[in-house]
Amino acid sequence: MANVLDLRRRIRSVKNTRQITKAMKMVSAAKLRRAQERAMQARPYAQMLTNILESLVRRTDLYNNETGEIMHPLLVEREEKNVLVLVIAGDKGFAGGFNSNIGKAAQRFIDQRRADGQNLDLEPVGKKAIGLYKKRYPAAVYEHKEELYDNDLAKHIEDIRHRVAPIEVAAEHPTLLVKTDFDEVTAVANSIVDRYESAEIDSVYIVYNEFKSVISQRVVVEKLLPIRKLGSHEITVLEEMTEEQREAAGRAARESGVSLSEPEETVAEREAKKFGTADIDYLFDQAPERLFRHLMPRYVTTQIFHALLESIAAEHAARMTATDAATKNAGELIDKLSLTMNRVRQAAITKEIIEIVSGAAAL
Amino acid sequence: MAEAGNNSGLLAVRLVTPDRVLLDATAAAVELPSMSGYMETLYGAAPLLAELGAGEVRLHGGSAGEQTFFVAWGFVEALPERVTILAETALHPNEIDPAEAQAELKHGEALWNQAGDDQEKYDEANAVTRVAEEKIASAQGKH
Repeated sequence: MANVLDLRRRIRSVKNTRQITKAMKMVSAAKLRRAQERAMQARPYAQMLTNILESLVRRTDLYNNETGEIMHPLLVEREEKNVLVLVIAGDKGFAGGFNSNIGKAAQRFIDQRRADGQNLDLEPVGKKAIGLYKKRYPAAVYEHKEELYDNDLAKHIEDIRHRVAPIEVAAEHPTLLVKTDFDEVTAVANSIVDRYESAEIDSVYIVYNEFKSVISQRVVVEKLLPIRKLGSHEITVLEEMTEEQREAAGRAARESGVSLSEPEETVAEREAKKFGTADIDYLFDQAPERLFRHLMPRYVTTQIFHALLESIAAEHAARMTATDAATKNAGELIDKLSLTMNRVRQAAITKEIIEIVSGAAAL
Repeated sequence: MAEAGNNSGLLAVRLVTPDRVLLDATAAAVELPSMSGYMETLYGAAPLLAELGAGEVRLHGGSAGEQTFFVAWGFVEALPERVTILAETALHPNEIDPAEAQAELKHGEALWNQAGDDQEKYDEANAVTRVAEEKIASAQGKH
């Protein structure tokens, strides 16, 4: 049996761990509040952009009357042969099942698509997802071609894709979760839009952890392209929270002072819903085709931005719950060890008394 | 929010960026860089929806005072009593980094040189150049 000194050392070490997990919980709670606020503040812009597009769709035909062509390439539906999947996980661990849940759910989706005979391009976001897919699948190979013409005055640059495997990692985004800068998201979205327009890919999905509130989260796959209906999220749920997880998350949130309910709609958000929808004849000074061309890629950007912000909030919530559970476990362990230590100490004292008493009796 | 009364003669102005609502105030007049040139909206003007290009949004009078924002792309809804501006980027002129703007200008020129015979790439290069030029002008207060 361990002696008192050993037990005392162990208790001290567990106490230190508890202090660390407690601090991590408070930090995650603060970060979660900030992430939630950020997601809220981003809503009016996305809402307004959707409103303009909807208003445009109402006012104009989606098909050209003369040629019968669809107004924008992002609305064109093709047979899904090459599918792009954006997988958003986290940058760090210590978040319970957050990263592994997304990994498992995404894998199911990938396997099922592969079984249907489709080729897949993966684009992991966050260090955890990148680490996972880099080991599992080869990176896409591009051949860089530069061609000079017009007496060497102009240059034509092209990257040609050579597919070597049915599932490849087309690109990775390790910095997207650090600041989640809108310009950076725009660059990613534009690259995806370009590939869709040039028919390199036929559909785009995004796997991420949707966040409504601390106790209402789920891993979903959302269809990003082609756009079927503006302003609605075409979502398939891959994994829901269990009752047990919900309870643990609820307890962690209550102890950290994080609200359990969904945040209420702000004035700005309410006003944003009215943007461009007044029942009057607006003056439109540009041609609808042109407006469409400018608005559609931005719509895709806001959808990705939205998914990123939700995933970040979900990651902090998961870390808060995980570290709360760790703190609780550490507390229980300390109680158990203290009890054992007291018993051992008592046993030692009893033993000494017996020795003294029997020594005295022998005299 | 700062409420513009119906007879105050002031416009309620809201400037929204992807990150947040940047400004919520009232103004007597708002100048906007629409795609087809600068325009000014006043209280009671006809309803209008317009796409904004690169340039400056300027507010005059009201609670906003004299304020200027550089916007790269956006959309505006002007109603008789309210102006809502949707801007992809909105910066105060003193927030602009001239060195970065110069680098963007160079990037735009490089794109133009590489565009080859692709009209779309030319348009894109021109757009990048125009944003950079407007940014530089805004930073120098040349408007």
